Amino acid sequence: MTLDLLIQQLVNGLIVGSFYALIALGYSMVFGVIKLLNFAHGDIYMNGAFVGLIVFSFVGIWVGNGWLGVVCALLVSMLAVGLLGVIIERFAYRPMRNAPRLSILITALGASMVLNGTALALTGGRHYAFNTDLGFAGVDISTVHITYTQMVLVAASIALMAGMQAFVSRTMYGKAMRAVSIDMGASRLMGIDVDRVIALTFFMGSALAAGGGVMAGAYYGSVHFFMGFIMGLKAFTAAVIGGIGSVPGAMLGGLLLGLLEAFGSSLPFVGSEWRDVFVFGTLILFLVFKPTGLLGRSVVERV
Amino acid sequence: MVVSFKRLACATALAGLALTTIAAAADIKIGIVAPMTGQLASEGQDMENAVKMAIDAVNAKGGVNGDKITITTADDACDPQQAVTAGSKLVSEGVTAIVGGYCSGAVLPTLKIYGDAGIPFVIIGANSTKLVAANQGNAFLANSTGDMQATTAVELFKKNGYKKFAFVDEGDAYSSDLAKLTAEAFKSAGGEIAAKETTTAGEQDYSAVVTKIKSSGADAVFWTAYHAGGALLTKQLRQAGFQGGIVLGDGNNSPEYLEIAGSAGEGVYLLSPPTVDLLSGAADFKAKYKETYGRDAGAYAALSHDVGDLIVDAITRAKSADQKAIIEALKASDFKGLAGEIKFTNKNTLQTSNFRPVIAKGGKWVAVE
Repeated sequence: MTLDLLIQQLVNGLIVGSFYALIALGYSMVFGVIKLLNFAHGDIYMNGAFVGLIVFSFVGIWVGNGWLGVVCALLVSMLAVGLLGVIIERFAYRPMRNAPRLSILITALGASMVLNGTALALTGGRHYAFNTDLGFAGVDISTVHITYTQMVLVAASIALMAGMQAFVSRTMYGKAMRAVSIDMGASRLMGIDVDRVIALTFFMGSALAAGGGVMAGAYYGSVHFFMGFIMGLKAFTAAVIGGIGSVPGAMLGGLLLGLLEAFGSSLPFVGSEWRDVFVFGTLILFLVFKPTGLLGRSVVERV
Repeated sequence: MVVSFKRLACATALAGLALTTIAAAADIKIGIVAPMTGQLASEGQDMENAVKMAIDAVNAKGGVNGDKITITTADDACDPQQAVTAGSKLVSEGVTAIVGGYCSGAVLPTLKIYGDAGIPFVIIGANSTKLVAANQGNAFLANSTGDMQATTAVELFKKNGYKKFAFVDEGDAYSSDLAKLTAEAFKSAGGEIAAKETTTAGEQDYSAVVTKIKSSGADAVFWTAYHAGGALLTKQLRQAGFQGGIVLGDGNNSPEYLEIAGSAGEGVYLLSPPTVDLLSGAADFKAKYKETYGRDAGAYAALSHDVGDLIVDAITRAKSADQKAIIEALKASDFKGLAGEIKFTNKNTLQTSNFRPVIAKGGKWVAVE
């Protein structure tokens, strides 16, 4: 592998990895707090992209198709889809909170199908163009071309994740979140409004996924109802690699997975058709040999 | 009892009527089988209209060998079961020849029915290679079979001077077959294969594949899968600074491709079936079709019209309505229509592919001359 190729795949890995990390973060936070694998998370990402596209086309009338439009779309979509996450938690998950783990898992699958099916029905399965005029301008390092959009994208997702990490580790609400994830019952006894903390977790996780969706939609230029499926699976893998329940773990897992994909598909004698075999093979290896992931702590079953 | 007598009387009367019509006219009857209901009804309507247009023109000039031609349409709804019913109906009506067939799945089970009855059958739309294997010798495929796209692709590659190709598919049967067939044909024509890559359908990030293509030194890329992935790949190739040619398989023939690819799609080639808009000599036909039926001629209208003319041509050359003679005449066809040349191989498939390259210009597909 030449140096150019190495740098190019590094860039590729970082970009796709930052999307994985953003989505994985929501997976991880929700799992950390209520021990639920929120399978609807990939669909939340998809909804975020659609809301973003609608806002983008709407504000585009006044502000054009440039950065300002994307930022507007990002903010509105994060807010709206964050609220959608809260609504899903309120009506689909909260009534199941004391039910067996399997029931709530099935509810999550159901929620995923409702979101996915609604999007299919509303869009007719069409692929919508998300045409920005951000362009392909950028800097060249030897033969490697890195666009400004790509740089902003990685920077924005790192900023979002850093903000999230600061929120969880520095603020009162973050402390409450961590407390609930350690012991929900004890937190309630200490006067923490557990329902509110859980709702907040869903809001933040969903908002991050929506942010990822808008950025992916604007970057790749296309939005469709099925885009959340593979993204959801990969983000789940990223969360497991990093250690599900851990915020820094999700970021690390996302970036590692992106790099693994990029380099895995450029290995000699291995075609790109093997990429997903790498990804999900890694998932299985982690689940078997290190289910707590790289940065996770072991989850003690409470009796 | 009264009811059943009435029914019986009705049936007898109808049967009598049918007999008299057959006896009275020495007309030649041509059956059209097409989806007239269901999701593809619009395509079926186009086929019927276009064939009718061709036959009406022949009748206006005095018919074929002095006989007028009548048409009867049977609806296969693109459904295998209904296709069998429709086929049996046409056979029992004693048609001389049959044209039509849009969905390969619906045409397949009818091949035996028409084959056993020895009826010449010219298939307009359906083009699965499975039809070739099930053909009893009486059926003819007027549309290029999928694998013929490879031939057109290689011709285009050579014409544009592309020497090193990267092939990208989505791993499904259709797109990987097309990539494989084209790669083989390109290699035997002296081309070099720089890379063969596969993407996952539904995935948005193709950067790893794009990087491999760029580093492989390919001067062009052939994408064999569908428009959604094609648009993403095109965009990401251009974003990464890939300057070479991009060629797309027929699965990308969608306005959505151009919308999503945007300016990155300019100058991209697509292999398209012979739709009316792409045929230089079809302007009159297009206008007349619109005038006659009050709607735009669909994708297969031109080819359907050609098949209508082709069957008349075969009957003329057979000099009779004898079905064996018509089949022999069809085998010897040397016909030039709106959609191109129709000459059959010894397997009754087209000798030359009717796929044609088009290029994206100003957000539209334009024929490459």
